[in-house]
Amino acid sequence: MKDPLTQRLYFLFGLLIATVVLGSLLSPNFLKSSTLGYLLQYVPVLGVLGMAQTLVMLSGGPGIDLSIGAMMSLVGLAIAALFGLGVPLVLACLIGLAIGAVLGAVNAFLICVLQIPSLMATLATFFAYSGLALALTGGSPIGGIPDWFGHLAQGRFLGVPVHFWTVFIPLAVLLHVMLSRTKTGSHIYAAGNDERAAYLSGVKVWRLRFAIYCFSGIIAGIAGIMTLAWFQAARPDAGKGMELLSVTVAILGGAHIFGGIGRIMGTVLAVLIVTTLQAGLQLANISQAWQLAAIGFLLIGSVVADNEVSNRLRMRARRGSS
Amino acid sequence: MIALAVLCAIFASQSEFFLTERNLTIILRNSVDLAVICAGMTIIIILGGIDVSVGGILAVAAVLIGRSYQLGAPDWVVILVGLSAGAALGAINGAIISKARVPPIVATLGTMYIFIAVLFLVIGGVWISGLPNTLSFLVTGSWLGLPSGLYVIGAVYLFSWLLLRRTPWGQHVVAIGCDENAARLVGISIDRTKIQAYALIGLFAGLAAVLYVARMRNVEVNIGTNIALEAIAATILGGANIRGGIGSLVGALMGVLFIKITQNGLVLIGVSSLWETVVIGSLLVIVLVLDALETRRKS
Repeated sequence: MKDPLTQRLYFLFGLLIATVVLGSLLSPNFLKSSTLGYLLQYVPVLGVLGMAQTLVMLSGGPGIDLSIGAMMSLVGLAIAALFGLGVPLVLACLIGLAIGAVLGAVNAFLICVLQIPSLMATLATFFAYSGLALALTGGSPIGGIPDWFGHLAQGRFLGVPVHFWTVFIPLAVLLHVMLSRTKTGSHIYAAGNDERAAYLSGVKVWRLRFAIYCFSGIIAGIAGIMTLAWFQAARPDAGKGMELLSVTVAILGGAHIFGGIGRIMGTVLAVLIVTTLQAGLQLANISQAWQLAAIGFLLIGSVVADNEVSNRLRMRARRGSS
Repeated sequence: MIALAVLCAIFASQSEFFLTERNLTIILRNSVDLAVICAGMTIIIILGGIDVSVGGILAVAAVLIGRSYQLGAPDWVVILVGLSAGAALGAINGAIISKARVPPIVATLGTMYIFIAVLFLVIGGVWISGLPNTLSFLVTGSWLGLPSGLYVIGAVYLFSWLLLRRTPWGQHVVAIGCDENAARLVGISIDRTKIQAYALIGLFAGLAAVLYVARMRNVEVNIGTNIALEAIAATILGGANIRGGIGSLVGALMGVLFIKITQNGLVLIGVSSLWETVVIGSLLVIVLVLDALETRRKS
């Protein structure tokens, strides 16, 4: 009997190929290498956010981080503002990551110490953070980022954007190894599967989740730096809509919203599918509406399919035991 | 409640315009859509669910209303179109959640995308504007010296309250929110109740769409984008617990007024309206923290 998560990966891989084929059928320009670069330009930002969201969901609770896009906007603005004040850019980025960690720690404190459900807590901080981003800047972007910094996200290596090589792939590999090979990884799965059992067997569930929410803030900071380099300006609404999109990607990738199930590979494939779909339909001049509809159907369809598979497995297991 | 009074006092002391009858009417007019949706959201949250697609339902209902106006339909047909579209879309949500066992947040997130897609397809990227104002008396008119919006809100909340607290259906909702398995064992039809509840919030979103079109007389492309999160925030401010079973209609109404008064008052005292989300967000945090400390002290 095949493991349903592996089946899920095959399914996503097939879906990815299907979207690529669809894209190339719809538009003759789709398979050119310039398209590939263009396509992959979008991937890392949503990708790292999706991975952070996957971790948050995996650790259970049920966990969700709706403030991830707002944290991303805030960090980007903080870095640009610090740079404007004369702080060296590299130092400003480090401070930015620290700010991301602090913003994440606020979430973590609300959720893990005060035991407020994550959906409510991060909804509240989503309002607070995105409001701050708008209010502190008066709604206008902060520019003036030098060209050399822009190259970090605009440059290409082997036709693929630099930050795809330097951020997206390393992070994906790192998280994959962490989840599948280390003790911390198995603790995360344990906490998501059965909080009580994990606690009784010595996993410090809430300390683990605290760290994960902080980590989510840092990742949002990294995403903020990438968009900052890409646009050479910090927009107060840079992360708008990213919270729901990152949840979508995590769920499409097979992460279970109540925790314990999911893989980084699934999230990576899901990000590729969503961006391929968007780029393909855009190139073919098909209305944005169909992109949204396709994402919506994929999201619901994937969960329904999941339920079907697990039902069948359960039935098979029952038949086997009797 | 106290917070609301304090807030009003602050704004009143800073701007003499705040307490005028005209301004209060403006606040009321702006709150009608959100208030109507919040009545439904409270019931959904008591049920233990959540609906992030209400903005999408509002948008689709509004665009259908706009189109039927353009086809020359009379008012009562238009209202019927709005309400039934809302109820139908809500029922779809309910069916996906209960029959296909998709977690509410995932299901409504998915349908949100689909509804917005429908909006784009029907509207075709151009605003529908210049709609007739035959229905605007529902929001801007007045009757017996009170603005008519008050009657609409009153009717919706009275209806919801009776439904929730005085009928077996309402008891089923609370029971499911407290403990779904126990409710099933008692013999409550979980699926049917859920579908009905989601259809109800859809119906309210449809009504909000009618009121929106009546007030603005146009349908824009980004209609309803923030209303779901605002509605959830108002409901939580009003004391509902997202885990289900607990929630208050009056509290939700207070939450709505709170949000709308903040938006209005900040402008009047000369603070940039950009600060409004900061204020709403920090208040949400404070309410949640106080709530958490209280539960901790009790246990």
